[in-house]
Amino acid sequence: MKWTDNLENFPYPFKGSTYRYSNNSIPMKLPLSVEVTLDYKEEMKLKRNLLTHHPERCYQSLPHTFTGQWEIVELVMEHLVAQYPEKFSLETNESQWIFHNKILGEKHEFTFGVEKSLPCEPLAFISRHVQEDLILMMQRDGDLYLDAGQLCFPANWSLAFNLGMKFKSIHHPIPGFKEEGLDDRILQFLMRIEAGNPWERKNWSLMAGDRLDTSLETFDQWGLLRKQVTKENAGELVHIRVEVQKLFRLPRSNAILFTIHTHLLSLEKLASNPEWLKQFYEILSELPPHITEYKGIALYKEGVLDYLEARLGSGKVL
Amino acid sequence: MSGEAVFVSGKRKYVFCGDQQGIKILSSLIERVKEEELLLEIFLIEGGTEWSQLSKFLKDQKMGTYLYVVLPNEYIQKAEEVAEATGFSDEEAQYIGYGEKVTRVYCCRCHGIKEMKNAEEETLCEHCGLELSVSDHYSVYHNAVLGYVAKL
Ligand code: HEM
Ligand SMILES: [Zn+2]
Repeated sequence: MKWTDNLENFPYPFKGSTYRYSNNSIPMKLPLSVEVTLDYKEEMKLKRNLLTHHPERCYQSLPHTFTGQWEIVELVMEHLVAQYPEKFSLETNESQWIFHNKILGEKHEFTFGVEKSLPCEPLAFISRHVQEDLILMMQRDGDLYLDAGQLCFPANWSLAFNLGMKFKSIHHPIPGFKEEGLDDRILQFLMRIEAGNPWERKNWSLMAGDRLDTSLETFDQWGLLRKQVTKENAGELVHIRVEVQKLFRLPRSNAILFTIHTHLLSLEKLASNPEWLKQFYEILSELPPHITEYKGIALYKEGVLDYLEARLGSGKVL
Repeated sequence: MSGEAVFVSGKRKYVFCGDQQGIKILSSLIERVKEEELLLEIFLIEGGTEWSQLSKFLKDQKMGTYLYVVLPNEYIQKAEEVAEATGFSDEEAQYIGYGEKVTRVYCCRCHGIKEMKNAEEETLCEHCGLELSVSDHYSVYHNAVLGYVAKL
């Protein structure tokens, strides 16, 4: 599979010449929870396939989440039709809704708020129309809990394991997060997010290969590619993986919708932009071991740096 | 989290939670609080007790309450989570686990759970045979820690 994500649309994540964990969330200019890119059809095919064949890995929910799930259906549909009127439409007559996905040629009629009118849970239903993974964080007792989610393209974590987990516990594996008090600051920040004022951030990582579905459940398979990276093949094999993450308060359930849109770009393409090449080389060479280790780059970092050095030296654009 | 219950003086009220064995372990401490004529309350956890009942009981406590919880090791972590969620900080509570310490390891590949009696860093999943590296990434919901792929 070749992802057509190209340089112009790529959500390049770096600023400055070093990278550390921080709360890098910013208010969204255009408040959209989801985005349709050139890979829409391919990704929907892949996602639906995963949802069908690996439901436990890709979809989890607790029973008290239906109000929040319906709010997500509403919010996402509103955003789709507002931003892409030629691709999606929605007719509503009180609670009778007709959603039209013109890209896939599908029409869905349902009664808003009535689970039985849909073929599956509301969150599972809407997730079959967007490239993003969708996570519902319920707020109670001064904390946020991962109480429902659809996750097909995780960066090496397990939705099934994380179900019902609190925000800080979810982030427990990240080195230094608790020690630096980041987990608490970010949690306080999230709990103050207000309806109508969404936030977004980018997270990045490197991966060997170009699979979107890098679940923890299949790491024993796709992780093996890390051992194959050399200076010679790094440009094609290694991809930078950027997640555009968006945070919306849902007013009725007071929950938070967390959407994750994953983009992949080969190092070869990244390096074809001379400024990006230089900046990424600086950042990767300086990256402290605890971050390299956590992001899973340690095994092949040298190969990548050698590749980038060669590209820097050659001055060639492609 | 484990060890012995230590008396902390000068609290407005003392609350003791545990199963029968747990309350027995706390008996000398309870005696002492009684002798000093301090305010105390006992919450007995029995076979049918739900976590929500404990949670409600703890929520009803006022500021200045000091909490002791003694339960079998496999439940003590969950009890701590429940108490923390109702607002008890580390300075206001002691959690003591007794008996055999069972670690439940959640397989990252097949989601099967393996109960381990002895703490080991690596173990084989009983369900799919994957070599797991036992982490400290803990889920209250599953009452288990995550086992990651040990070797690529
Ligand atoms: C509220 C919704 C959020 C959810 C459900 C969530 C979930 C996760 C998960 C599952 C991981 C992987 C942990 C693992 O290794 O098992 C992670 C990593 C991380 N999260 Fe979050 N997160 C959320 C919000 C945030 C926010 C707002 C920040 C802001 C700074 C943040 C910062 C991070 C960082 C820095 C990492 C490490 C990523 C890396 O090094 O590649 N998260 N998050
Ligand atoms: Zn297994």
